[in-house]
Amino acid sequence: MKKLVMFHGRECPHCRKMMPLVDKMIAEEGIEIEKLEVWHDEKNADTMRSYREVITPKCGGQLRVPTFLNTETNDVECGELEYEKLIGWANR
Amino acid sequence: MKKFWRCHVCNDIHYGVKAPEICPTCLKENAYVEIASGEAQRIMSVAQITIDKPAFVQAIKAFAAKCEFQVNPDQERVELLLEGMFNNEANHGLKYCPCRLIEKDFSKDIELICPCNFLVHETYQDKADGECWCGLFIKKEIT
Repeated sequence: MKKLVMFHGRECPHCRKMMPLVDKMIAEEGIEIEKLEVWHDEKNADTMRSYREVITPKCGGQLRVPTFLNTETNDVECGELEYEKLIGWANR
Repeated sequence: MKKFWRCHVCNDIHYGVKAPEICPTCLKENAYVEIASGEAQRIMSVAQITIDKPAFVQAIKAFAAKCEFQVNPDQERVELLLEGMFNNEANHGLKYCPCRLIEKDFSKDIELICPCNFLVHETYQDKADGECWCGLFIKKEIT
């Protein structure tokens, strides 16, 4: 798994809105991020659950999507982000 | 602790801490008696009720009609969310919110069944334009 991960759901409107921004960040900034769909892939879902203690305190006590996780620093953002904030998270 | 209660007149089933004083189905007063969960499930199994997407939309609109919120008028968003909820029902047993993940702890996961108690979400509380986390329900505009 890459250092930066986006947990997303196929039918989540927030995730659908963020996906072009993530793709733009990959293309323009050369940032590597792994996208893991969690509602239709149980392995990915279990991966997200394994970070429960890291994610939930910053996401309303729940495993919300989209969640952006740095697996090395445990830096977490969730929900819809402005592009600049997304890049800021990726570069922190 | 919640229990099952049965109206002895019309077999209406209630699940709650205490019995309703008046049966909402037959209007009989003081009609409920506590029963076992197995009995309640047996009685409820008589009615085979399914809810398809149009029926679910009708149900949540009726639910919201007298409340301070409404179903989001953004049809595209609602369709996407419905697709997610019905896929979740087919794959995971219940209409879970497509914008949060179940934890495999049913006592917690039942809080993710749509409609959830979104009134406590920080995306809804104390906001004039509040909405539930997924955006299926939004606050009505105050005129």
